[in-house]
Order: sequence, then structure tokens, then C-alpha cells
Amino acid sequence: MNDSDPRTTTPLLEVSDLKTYFRTERGTVKAVDGVSFSLQRGQSLGIVGESGSGKTVLSRSIMGLLGRTNLIREGSIKFNGQELMGLSVKEMRSIWGQEMSMIFQDPMTSLNPVMKIGRQIAEPLMLHLGMNKSEARLTAEKLLTDVRIPEPQRRLNQYPHELSGGMRQRVMIAIALACGPTLLFADEPTTALDVTVQAEILHLINEQRVDRNMSLILVTHNIGVVAGNTDVIAVMYGGKIVEKAPTKTLFSSYKMPYTEALMRSIPKLRQASHTRLATIPGRPPDMVNPPLGCNFAPRCAYARPKCLVEEPGLTVTENPEHVYACFYPVGSPEYHERKLELSQRSDLLSTGGQN
Amino acid sequence: MKFWMQRVAMAILLLLSVSALTFGAMNVLGDPLFNILGPLAGDVNNPKSAALIEEVKAKYDLDKPLPVRYVKWLGDFATGDMGVQFSTDGQPPVSGLIKERIPRTITLLIMAQLLAVMISIPWAAITAARAGKRSDKISTMNSFFLLAMPNFALAILLKYIFSLKLGWFPLTYKAIDPYFERLRQIFLAAVTIALPAAAVYQRLLRTDLITTLQQDFILMARAKGLSRSRVIFRHAIRPSMFSFITVVGLNTGGLIGGSIVVETVFRIPGIGSSLVESVLREDFPVVLAIVILIALAFVIINVLVDILYSIIDPRVRR
Amino acid sequence: MSEETIIVSDSPDAEINAAIQKKIGWGFWLAISWVILITLLAILAPYLHLKDPRGYFIDIDGNGRPPYGPSFEHWFGTDKDARDIFARTLHGARISLIVGFSAISFGFLVGGTLGIIAGYFRGWLDKIISFTFIVLLSFPSLVLAIMLTALLNRSLFTISMILGILSIAPVGRLARASTLQFSDREFVLAARQIGASDSRIILRELLPNVVIPMSALALLGMAVAIVAEGGLAFLGLSVSQGITWGSLIQIGSDSATTLENAPWIAFFPILLLFLTVLSLNFAGDRLRSHLDVKESSL
Repeated sequence: MNDSDPRTTTPLLEVSDLKTYFRTERGTVKAVDGVSFSLQRGQSLGIVGESGSGKTVLSRSIMGLLGRTNLIREGSIKFNGQELMGLSVKEMRSIWGQEMSMIFQDPMTSLNPVMKIGRQIAEPLMLHLGMNKSEARLTAEKLLTDVRIPEPQRRLNQYPHELSGGMRQRVMIAIALACGPTLLFADEPTTALDVTVQAEILHLINEQRVDRNMSLILVTHNIGVVAGNTDVIAVMYGGKIVEKAPTKTLFSSYKMPYTEALMRSIPKLRQASHTRLATIPGRPPDMVNPPLGCNFAPRCAYARPKCLVEEPGLTVTENPEHVYACFYPVGSPEYHERKLELSQRSDLLSTGGQN
Repeated sequence: MKFWMQRVAMAILLLLSVSALTFGAMNVLGDPLFNILGPLAGDVNNPKSAALIEEVKAKYDLDKPLPVRYVKWLGDFATGDMGVQFSTDGQPPVSGLIKERIPRTITLLIMAQLLAVMISIPWAAITAARAGKRSDKISTMNSFFLLAMPNFALAILLKYIFSLKLGWFPLTYKAIDPYFERLRQIFLAAVTIALPAAAVYQRLLRTDLITTLQQDFILMARAKGLSRSRVIFRHAIRPSMFSFITVVGLNTGGLIGGSIVVETVFRIPGIGSSLVESVLREDFPVVLAIVILIALAFVIINVLVDILYSIIDPRVRR
Repeated sequence: MSEETIIVSDSPDAEINAAIQKKIGWGFWLAISWVILITLLAILAPYLHLKDPRGYFIDIDGNGRPPYGPSFEHWFGTDKDARDIFARTLHGARISLIVGFSAISFGFLVGGTLGIIAGYFRGWLDKIISFTFIVLLSFPSLVLAIMLTALLNRSLFTISMILGILSIAPVGRLARASTLQFSDREFVLAARQIGASDSRIILRELLPNVVIPMSALALLGMAVAIVAEGGLAFLGLSVSQGITWGSLIQIGSDSATTLENAPWIAFFPILLLFLTVLSLNFAGDRLRSHLDVKESSL
């Protein structure tokens, strides 16, 4: 982070108390329920959570891409000092693709199957930057080179189905970068790809972010993906941010038991291959009728009666950048007490099993 | 290749069956001798009539067995000889009558089909973009009304409003008028055929468009900042057109039936009104020729659409 | 796609369908009520103290020369020959409805039987029957009807039969398709296992399962037959000398002057025909989505 740079004092994006609800037949789904954070120019934020935690809705809600029927959206989103909340779709269109753009999850379905690659990249160029066809084509070719697609000129005349998944994701990145946005969203950009390509794509996104001094919001369910690629990580659960910290701090001293559980679900190379991967028992909360207390309490091994009736607010640690929402965080006396009980019980179980 | 051969072989078999059936029905259920001679045909005891009957029988091959007559007729038909009209001393021959009238029907059908496509695409685009909203529900109701209106009734309503009350379109078709004037004269007839067809196409395309609009690449297109109409017309329409194209093709055959009634209401001397006239005059060769021609067009169009569709979408061949 | 996106994408069609699935709705009953009402009026027409549909009511003193417009005396007005349109329209419903009903009954009887036989026995029998259907479908229906009316005398019976023949192929195809589908189901296989005869399986196991979902098609088919009869009558090719909606409409529109000066002659029969066809279509459509029958080709 460039705290010394005076320009970064006004954040590029400032989200305060953002709520995004959907009216459904079952009731109101509180997909995003009071999220606040800010993001400096050039900074990158990782949003991590299981599916159903509201992270995709959060990114689309900030960008304003959700359909308007049966949607309730409250709070404030300031982008470059401008309030986005309440802007019409028409006003948002000049921001989309130009100021903010998004890389979607599945490159197989996110490119138009019956339109040539070249035209799909040229489209925002001609619309936002007023380029003519040949200028847009040249720029598109350059963009394809930037995202390291071999033979860019030939690719312009190909259809998506003629490219591999990794190539298509690179095309999508090229489209997202086309008009030089200041804020890039990447929604699970590697989930649909082969493991071997995932690292390359993440590297490419991060490299382009640095080159173009963009801000990045990287949404993923895999905390391992954000580890080396973001400055700050926000952990989401049940539509709320439950822990947020600079990446290094989070990995070294996470406070939320949920973060701990996410950490344990990262596959580690040093582990013996037959070790079972730790998974979090239970299911994400019902967002129509969320639990009374802490959303995670029903699944939390360290939960105590208080957790079930009272909702923890965000607590600031000794590092002002590190906040968490938990009454009995990792490292607290109650945490250690419970941990001891648990390990004794599992010892008991395992010895009992062997006898 | 094998797939196409099969389709063509099937079409030929179908055409032979259809023509045999029509020829058989005409000759077994109908009485061609009576059609030609009138009451004289029954007057076998009168030697003068009997001679005439023999003469006519020989002239029109009525003395030969049915299969023989069918094969001969088929050969003649294939070479463009459709026989003579019974009701007009044989002049002009049936093929002459059809040659004169068929361009009008074809023009009418092409115009109707173009109108239907031109109406249905924007209609579907608008309703799909507003699916489930009030305007979409009103449109669904309208197409329901349109499809419940029999074509002769629709023709009369349009004629009453636009020709008689508003006077926008002429009442009669004049074969001697210049080409563009004649196009104006058949316009209302084309609208009558086009409106219900457009309702059918719209329903289909709307459903496919709604499916397409939920695809990821549509969200991607929106995220580029494209306007709504651009998203729909540039990104959503094309991938939604496959079944639309098929149904438009297949329906061309169906419109031929509609043209019979509509030509009659608007007094357009085409193939359809000619069929009705010849049925009322009991002019057997004309009815036979027109029915066969229509069935022929129907079958050929269906085969062409089948083949065309297999080119567009190779999965069909499997 | 993640779970969230499924919540996000609003699919109104699914919702609408779900709503229809639950309840058939008041619209269905309204449509059915109209069909019942018009049927009762048609049946009771001779006993309703209507004016004589073939009588001439020339009003020498008051209104001058016919046609007379709608009035208290003649609710729907009269035609050029001063015949009462209201009485004629109600009487006209008789032929239209009888033809519509008998045509689709004939179609179900013949087409349904052929379709079930083809779907159940399969093999060469299926090939022949299916080919027959294709041949029948190779004529635009009105063309086939016109050809047959040209060859036969135009009695109520023959017109009904002709329109019945037209509905054989669409009904038969659907019956064949659903028979194919049902004859592989467990209950049919079980019946076969215990040695039930073919006729027993067809009548007891297949018939109810195939025909009930097709009841929606019966309503839609009746609408098609009524329209077809109207078309034939309009062309002067339906029941000869009969009063039917199609022939009434034809009388009202045979010349531009009649249509311009006395539009009521054609419009009242058009209105009744339209409402009846609309009701049948609507009720059929609702019933179909209620019973969830996939294909409809009638």
C-alpha cells in the first residue's frame, strides 16, 4: 500500500452500509446486509466466502448490474467522490466498461458464441472512446498482445468456441481492460479453468493491475487464490464482512473462527496426499430468516450461548486496518478453553476407535 | 449426404402418395364424365349421347383403368401439361390459367411472410425485454385475441376499417394496373395473413429470447455499458433465431391455406380464389392441378427447411 | 454459476408457469361458461320464441327498405332480405357447434385409435400409420377440405366427416407419441408380466393415461374445426342451404356496399364466432398448462 502517496487519501471507492435484498416468494433474501469498506486507487481487495455468502451479489451490487425488479438496495457507494446509489441505468452505462469493468466466472458462457472475438473487444472501444472500426481493431490487437494471446491478428476473426478456456478468459480480461477502467472486478476468474492455467490468469490480472494502476476487487471462495494477489482481504459470511485485514496480517493472526475454517480448507502441498481436506460442517445460513445472533454461530465449534442471541459488531484490533466480528476470537481465553475440550474429545474418540 | 438422400427419397414417396390419393379421390368420388357432359352423361340410351360419351371417354382416357390413367396423367403433369379446363371449352389450358395466377399468390405470400417477420422480431424483442411486466401481459393477451380471429373475419374487419372507412387501400385488384399499384392492392390481404403468423412467431422468439437474456454473455454485454436495445439486437437476437427460422420456413406452407380465403375476400385472382371458383364450377382438372401444386409446394418447402436446418445446426443430423 | 446468481436471475416465465400449475384460474371457468352458454342457446334456439330465422320481416311503414339496423325489434338488426340476424346467429351456432363437436370426436376416435395402435404395436404397423399421418399433413388442411367438399354432397354428416378426417393426423400423432412414452412405464410392463392381453392393456392401462392429457387438445381442436367450418361456409362450401356463422358472415360481406352500409350483418356473427373460438382456445390452453401436455400440433 502506498500510504505515503497524498493522492490516495480520498479513496477511489467507498462503500458504506450497503444492503442488497431480493424480494422472493419465500420472503426477503438479505444477500448483502450492511457492508462497508473503502478502496484506494491501485489497491486490491480480495473478498472471500463460501458460495451463498453474498460476495457475488456484493460485487454486482456495487457495479449496479443487478436486475431492478424485486431488488432493494440501500446504503452509499461513492466512486471517485461521486455517489452511485440512485443513478439511473442510463447514467451507469457511461461508467460500465469505461470506469468499472468486470471479469466473469465462466469464460465458456460469458462470451457471445455467435460474435467474432475482434468485434466483442472493439464494441466498448467504439462506444466509450469513440474509435472508428480500424482504430478499434488495432487497439483490440494490442490488447490481445497485452494479455499474451499468440497470433492476435488471427484471433480477432475467430469465434469463442475456437479458443481454449484459458484463452477465452484472456479475451475476457482484454475486453474488461479495453477502455482503461480504474476499478476492475474479477468474480471467481479462475474457478472454471484448469488448475494449470489458474495461476497464469491470476498473475496476468495482477500484472495488468500494477501496470495500469487500477484497483481490483477479486471475489473468490478459495482463500488461497487471494493470498499472493491482494493487499487486503475481506472475509464474508451471511451477507456481512466478518473479518477484514491486510493480507499478511490476516494470514498470520486471523481472529474469526470462520476465517480459521477457510484457512484449513486450503490444500497444502506439504500435507500427505491422503490427509482429508478440512471442510466446514453445516450449510450457509438461510438469508430469508438469518439467525438471531452471529450468523456463523450455528456452525461454529467455539460458539457460546451469547453468540446465539447477540450479534457481534466489528471490533478493531491493535492494527487499525484489522477488524473482525466475534465475541470469542482466535486467541481469546474462551477460544483456548474450548479448543482444549475439543482436542481432548477427539483424542478420546480416536483412542476409543483404536481399542 | 446420406441424411439428405433419405429426406429427398421420403419427399418423392410422399409426393407420389399425395398425388395418387388426390387423383384417386377425384376420379372415384367424383364423376369426371358428368363434369364434362352434364346431364348428357346419364343419357346412355340415346345413341347420339352414347356416341358423344364414347368420344369424350376416348378423348380424356376415361375408358382406361385408373392406374393407367394415373401414370399417364403423372407423366403429362411432370411435363407441364395439366390438361384442359372442362368449364371453358378448354381455353386457356389449365397450365395457362395457373401460369397467369400463380405469381400473384406467390407475391402475396412473400409479402405476408416479410411483414410477419418484420412485425414479430421487434415485437418479440420488446416483450422479452419486459417479460412478466404489464406491457408483456397485454401483448400476450393481444396475440391470444389475434389467434382466435378466423382469417376471413380478420380480412373483413381490415377491409371494413382500412378500405371502406379510412380509404387507405383500394377495394379491388386490377391486373392491368402498374406493379406498385398492384402491391398496394394486395397489401391488406398480406396483412391479414401476416398478423396471426406474426403472433405465432413472436411467441416463439420471445420465449427463446428470454432464455438467451439470462445467459452470462448478456450480463457481460451489459457490463460493457451497451444500451439495452444494443444488447438485445446485437447480442441476444442472433443466438435466439434457430427455431424461429425453422418455424417461419415450415409455416410458409401453412400460409398457402390462408391465402385461399383471403384472396376470396379481397378478390385477388390468385391460385386460392381460383381453387374455390373451380370447385364451385366443378371443374375437375383445375381442382386437381391446384391441389397437387399446393401439396407439392408444401412438401418441398418442408424438405428444404429440414435440410436448411440441418446445415444451420449440425446436431440435428445425429 | 454460484448460488447467488440463481437468486439474481429473475425468470418471470417460470413464475407464471408455476402460478398456472397451482390453480387453473377463473379465466378458465369464464371461458367454459361462455361455451356452455352458447351451446345451450344453440340447443334451445327453436324453443326460445325467437323470430323465424328464415322469415322476412319487411317493415313497410316505419323503416323503409331493409337492411334494418339493430333495434329493440331486431336486436342484431336484419340483413338485406329483412331476416332477423339475432335469430339467425343463434340458429347458426347449431351447425357450427355440431360440426365442431362431431369433427373432433371423429378425429379422436379414429386418430386416437390409430395413434395408440401405432405406438403400442410399433413395427410395420407403426410405419404405415405414421406415413398415413404424414400424407394427411402434406395438404394444408383447408385445401384438403375444399377438395373433399367438391367431391361429396354437402350434408351436415359429410362436412363433419371431412373436418373429422382433417383432425385425424394431429390427434393421432400426439396419441402415438404419448403411447410410446407410456408403454415403457412400469405399470404397463407389470401388466404384461402377469399376462394381460393386448386389448386389456390398451383399454385399461394406456387409454386413460393417453386420453386424459389430450382433453385440452379436444378443446383446441374443436376451435380449429369451428374455424374450418366457418371458412368453408364462407366460401359457400359448407352444409348446403344451412344457416351457419360462416355463411352469415359471407352474406354480410359479399359486396362492399353491404359491408359499408350494414356492417352489423357480418359483425354480430363474427363477434359470436370470435368469442367462442377465443373461449375454446383459452380454456384449452389453460387446461394444457394445467395438465402439462408438452406437444400441440393441432
